[in-house]
Amino acid sequence: MSGSARVEEHATCLGCGCTCDDIAVVIEGGRITDARNACALGLRWFGDGSLPGAVIGARSAAIEDALGEIATVLRSARAPLVYLAPDLTSEAQRAAIAVADQLRAFVDSATSSTSAEGILAAQRRGRATASLGEIRNRADVIVFWAVDPTLGYPRFQSRYAPNPVGVHVPNGRRDRTVIAVDVGAQRGPDDADLRIQMTPQDEQAFLASLRASLAGYTVGDPPIVARVNELAGRLTRAKYAVVVTDAELASEVPSTRADALIAITQSLNATTRGSLCSLRAGGNRNGADTTLTWQTGFPMAVDFSRGVPRYTPDDATLARLGRGAFDAALVVGASASLPATVAAALKGVRTIVIGPRASESGLDATIRIDTGVAGIHESGMAFRTDEVPLPLRALLPTPRDTASLLKALGAAIAASRGAA
Amino acid sequence: MTQLRITGGAIHDPANGIDGDVRDICIDGGRIVASLPADAPVLKADGMVIMAGGIDIHAHVAATSVSLARRLLPEEHTLDPTSAPALLDGTIPRTGTGGTVPSTFTTGYRYAGLGYTTVFDAAVAPASARQTHAEFDDTPIIDGGFYALLGNDEYLHRQIAANELGRAKDYVAWILKSTGGYAIKAVNPGGIELWKRNVREVKTLDDPVGVANVTPRKILEVLADAAIALGLPHPVHIHCNNLGVAGNVATTLESMRALEGRRAHFTHLQFHSYGGERGKSWSSAARQVAEYVNGHPEVTGDVGQVMFGDATTLTADAAVEYLLHTSTGRKWVNADIELETGCGIVPYTYKDKAAVAALQWVVGLELFLLSADPWRMVLSTDHPNGGSFMSYPDLIRLLMDRAYRDEKLKSVNQKMLAGSALADGIAREYSLNEIAIITRAGPARQLGLKQKGHLGVGADADITIYSRDADYAKMFSTPRYVLKGGTLVIEEGQLRRAPAGKRIFVQPGYDQALLRDLGKYFESYSSIQLANYPVTGLRDTPVATGAS
Repeated sequence: MSGSARVEEHATCLGCGCTCDDIAVVIEGGRITDARNACALGLRWFGDGSLPGAVIGARSAAIEDALGEIATVLRSARAPLVYLAPDLTSEAQRAAIAVADQLRAFVDSATSSTSAEGILAAQRRGRATASLGEIRNRADVIVFWAVDPTLGYPRFQSRYAPNPVGVHVPNGRRDRTVIAVDVGAQRGPDDADLRIQMTPQDEQAFLASLRASLAGYTVGDPPIVARVNELAGRLTRAKYAVVVTDAELASEVPSTRADALIAITQSLNATTRGSLCSLRAGGNRNGADTTLTWQTGFPMAVDFSRGVPRYTPDDATLARLGRGAFDAALVVGASASLPATVAAALKGVRTIVIGPRASESGLDATIRIDTGVAGIHESGMAFRTDEVPLPLRALLPTPRDTASLLKALGAAIAASRGAA
Repeated sequence: MTQLRITGGAIHDPANGIDGDVRDICIDGGRIVASLPADAPVLKADGMVIMAGGIDIHAHVAATSVSLARRLLPEEHTLDPTSAPALLDGTIPRTGTGGTVPSTFTTGYRYAGLGYTTVFDAAVAPASARQTHAEFDDTPIIDGGFYALLGNDEYLHRQIAANELGRAKDYVAWILKSTGGYAIKAVNPGGIELWKRNVREVKTLDDPVGVANVTPRKILEVLADAAIALGLPHPVHIHCNNLGVAGNVATTLESMRALEGRRAHFTHLQFHSYGGERGKSWSSAARQVAEYVNGHPEVTGDVGQVMFGDATTLTADAAVEYLLHTSTGRKWVNADIELETGCGIVPYTYKDKAAVAALQWVVGLELFLLSADPWRMVLSTDHPNGGSFMSYPDLIRLLMDRAYRDEKLKSVNQKMLAGSALADGIAREYSLNEIAIITRAGPARQLGLKQKGHLGVGADADITIYSRDADYAKMFSTPRYVLKGGTLVIEEGQLRRAPAGKRIFVQPGYDQALLRDLGKYFESYSSIQLANYPVTGLRDTPVATGAS
């Protein structure tokens, strides 16, 4: 069966938000046997590329009939949810949002459960950011605020900062100062040049004191102030300071962190240059925010039920599921990567899954259609954690293309409306 | 494609020397043709005014910066939700949100609703070009293109530093080809890179950008020459240094003189035509700029009019936005992007009772009214910077209706208007043909779009039909019919069809030897693989260039 191995160069990995696009994927006998350059997370994400290709739970296995049946279920629902799970191309995300718009559904993604605080803070304040290429080439002071990228973002340090040589940091790591801020068990990287530790209870006071210090005031108890001034000095003496934070933890830390880190990095620009780098997990999560934003004006939690997009970030998927607001749900994408809270709360809702390994989904779904994984079986576009778009190529055949399937579902919904 | 004969309307087609003549327009296969069989369907336009579809030469509608602005403005979107239109063509209609930075579908619908059928996004970070194409794919009806930001590109600067000007030209061609862009954009040449280095002001065109021989002047020259050498349909599109600063007219005129004799487009000149002195005084210098442009046929421009009301300032010129943030206290986005460019965003309100806003409003109108050749000074608000594209009808009324304009002028803050030409009284009123020039024929000519902006045989059947109204703002805000590529998209003032727009782009050639050097640069510094940089799968046919 197997021919000789082929290598797909420059593949893009969606294992985390780093979205490394230098992966050489080795394929033998229709299976991925290696993903060179990939980290452990990436190797896990690529896997061997095998996928089921089933259509389960529909009265007919013919895809057109199954789509017609799904269209009927969703059209007859009073309050449907369309949920963008990870591992979708942006083309599939756009098609899913279109379906939600058509259905007057509520549309959301993992973002509202895991990363809403940073987005809401940025909507209040704006933000100072830099793309990863800028950080790589310019940042001379890098603060890892309660995040050690070796865990969730393994190649961040080698690909972006602090390790690479950059235009304005020609000696790479030696030209950069790395500062780890440990907030309780949320530790920065081990090999930092400076380590600042605090308890979670002290974080808010520390952030407030740091903001004050950058504005030229002294606020806080002496032990805090000393550490604050040390950090503020390093930041303001930097040519280009970057604070790195894990945006996926937003639901687990006080919302004051996201807000304060934005304010701090913005205020650095009064005297030097500074940016905030928010790390997002894999699967093109940023793509969901970006495509939702350009199609509706809002990055998450969009309610179409009144025939126009309404933004309800304070009443997002989890809150609505909690009070039984939905009578049907269409989960698109990798249902295995749903936030556990969302997966649990979906119990009891009539659910349809369209995505990779839908047939094996742990969700209690009535109809399941297997499709491919963005960037492994499906081509298109994905957004890096810094919102830079990258191409995805299909390395292996997909059971059926998610974006095309969702467009066909849209047509089936339109046809059922015409018939109604 | 359907045939259609439009009869009875007064045609304003300045590119073909037609000024209000009543004659038939025949459409077949999406194009304007000489004649049709006698039994072809007829659209009666008796008493109406017919122009080519509008062309926006400079707007921000489909780019990373625009999406960042959209994300920043949920409050605006919440106040302006738009329901799905009742389409008759089987296209699934989409809801959206408006405000100064509308969602994509709403952008397409609203432009078409104003009779605009072609729009260029004026500032796209090359690394994010694939997002622009995807956003245009979700912006129905209008044909779209974009300008690639090149004035602060590290690789380009390196070629200038090494005096490798041939390679600089090849790189420009590679960027346009790789991104599917249409023209070269220079924003605050050198100044964005300096902002990233915490140098916040460009004092002269000869300020060094890192090394002595890379200067704003040199960057302008190299990009202008590249556009000419590559035979691009549109010359280099320039946003000068020192935008929005009192006294910046000196920089603007110096930039124009630096390129004297070369084709060049200077954009949103309103923001670059201020006299006075930084931190001390402001005045209008529109007359000096208009006089320079009047005397130099190689120069074209667009105005970037400020309209009173809400706007969103959104530019690659990020240093300006920091100043605006600190002076207004309003929320602020800065994004530094991939050694290529920057981005700054601040929501802003132009108040007629504010002295500077009133001056800006006057400067823009003066540029329109003092420019002798409307073909070379066309309409823009730098949407959404000076105001939304939805304000174009009101701007047209200000140009056509002196009484309306003078009345408005009386109500604005007068503090900085002493001695301005408009305050002294300008009688000029634009004619319908001049409006057709500054909103379609002129932009088409500046852009080198041979099939657009006119109604001659062979042109794209992008056509707008207005009912006459003494209130020109009303007339231009509610076209009776709009055709896009021969499809009737607006019928009796209602959006009825929303075909996909086309992409307008170039694919210039370059010396493949570039790729070896560029490969080394990408290997050393880029966060993106060279092989992953180019956008693939572009539909439609590229516009021809001299060198392709």
